[in-house]
Amino acid sequence: MKARPIAAALAVLGYVVMLVPILFVVGGAFTAGSTLKFPPEGFSVRWFGEAVANESFSQALTSSLLLAVVSTALALAVGVPVALALHRGHIPGRSLLEGLFLSPLVIPELVIGLALYQQLMIGLKQTSFLALLVGHTVLLMPYAVRVTGASLALADQSLEEAARGLGSSPWHAFRTVTLPLLRPGVMSAGLLGFITSFNNVPLSLLLQSRDFGTLPVTMLDYIQQSYDPVIAAMSTLILAGTVVIAVIAERTVGFTKIFGGIN
Amino acid sequence: MIFVARPKESNYPLMNNRPRAGALLLLPGLLLIVFGFAVPSAVMLFSPPGVTPSDVFVRLGEMLSDPYDLGIIGRTLGLGLVVTALCIVLAFPIACLLARSTSRWAGIWLALAVFPLLLSNVVRTFGWLVILGSNGFAGRLITGLGFADEAPQLLYTPLAVVLGLVQLFLPLAVVACYSAVAQVDAGLDDAARGLGASRLRTLWSVVVPLSLPGVVVAATLVFAGSITAYTTPYLLGGSSQRMLATQLFSYSSVTVNWAAASATALVMTVLVFLVSGLSSAVARAKGRVQ
Repeated sequence: MKARPIAAALAVLGYVVMLVPILFVVGGAFTAGSTLKFPPEGFSVRWFGEAVANESFSQALTSSLLLAVVSTALALAVGVPVALALHRGHIPGRSLLEGLFLSPLVIPELVIGLALYQQLMIGLKQTSFLALLVGHTVLLMPYAVRVTGASLALADQSLEEAARGLGSSPWHAFRTVTLPLLRPGVMSAGLLGFITSFNNVPLSLLLQSRDFGTLPVTMLDYIQQSYDPVIAAMSTLILAGTVVIAVIAERTVGFTKIFGGIN
Repeated sequence: MIFVARPKESNYPLMNNRPRAGALLLLPGLLLIVFGFAVPSAVMLFSPPGVTPSDVFVRLGEMLSDPYDLGIIGRTLGLGLVVTALCIVLAFPIACLLARSTSRWAGIWLALAVFPLLLSNVVRTFGWLVILGSNGFAGRLITGLGFADEAPQLLYTPLAVVLGLVQLFLPLAVVACYSAVAQVDAGLDDAARGLGASRLRTLWSVVVPLSLPGVVVAATLVFAGSITAYTTPYLLGGSSQRMLATQLFSYSSVTVNWAAASATALVMTVLVFLVSGLSSAVARAKGRVQ
């Protein structure tokens, strides 16, 4: 028995399962017909026009972008100082604290969503936007803490000590040595956070309201009612946007490094 | 170092001899995690509004003896295991081929496997609706090739959920397996081959055992993801293939039964904890070996 052909066959099957459904979505988006079919009936971009003109989609897109940007910024603003304290300060119980900050990764997102729905929206009568913001920021905290922490852990602390030893003020040493060391970690955590928030379903599902709906959940609701080519067109537009994010990632820190953790 | 003796204590600029500065940096994050996550989650799991902890545990007891609820737990675990096994069987060969390839295309193939991680689950799962839905590609292929007169029901079957979840978690498995295989020294493969071992033998006696801890971590990630995934079982399984996550959503938003929601959430959370406990035990064992 030869190992290589079997491995190659399994690998091909794996790529088919990962990528072919995405091609079906793109193919379906360009149909001229009125039902979602593959192969498409004729070629047309009219469904893209419908997707762009759809008011609930464009509103949801704005909401999703706003939520993703603000929650990513908040998670970084709160998470980077945490990473600094964990990696450069002398904090008792460091690994326990780190575990606490990573724990939103372990609790199922629906559980976090339902918890915030009950406590913030029903208990404290807060708006859906605030609950979503808290939920998404909590969800992104592990990335902010771990990814920026990783770039601090890799950097030699003696660089900062050398700057201090050479007479640099604490703030000057931070600005000229530590901050540049942090930059790739912050960039990676920012992109990861943005993508995670923008694509999130389980949290947004329970926390969104009629006034503030996110794009993935709005699409999910739409699919439940009818699955016509508008969803395929909208999906293709999201795919194009995601490719742009991937290119930005590749140009800055490296695409597989950020999203796969592969060096 | 000539110019400065390395101090014993941290000399980090912003918190030089000031442990309080460290505490100050931690405070906003701690407040957010405690009041925005830990406390609400604990309250929701054990005592949601208007429900006592004993109500939750009574409901949990009923759930663990009711055939319908047990069926959902069983389906969740069963599909999770099948998805995990398929993901590892497909991801490991991809990881080996990519990690050992010298081709300049390997980087592009790796990027293609990572890319779906960025793409919305709704978009990825929607592709299966086009393929498996009524009048979908698969149905017409089956009737067109004369395997059946009528297209079989493909959507809302366990098969649909498995396909969707494998598509969803395969990139994660590839990334984790790739890291595991890449850290096995390729020189060991060459040594085994040089000593006369076949490719299969080399794989089985060298690469597999050395990358096993990483593969176990990949498996636990996929399993934990599968048993908590919502979008894919919702779209491809519907109400006929209820899993814990879709059932939890139904208890929280449709029937609004918070005791049942908490009991379901407890089952899901405990399962995830057990699985991640296994993962960290493996990581610790790996640490001892190395």
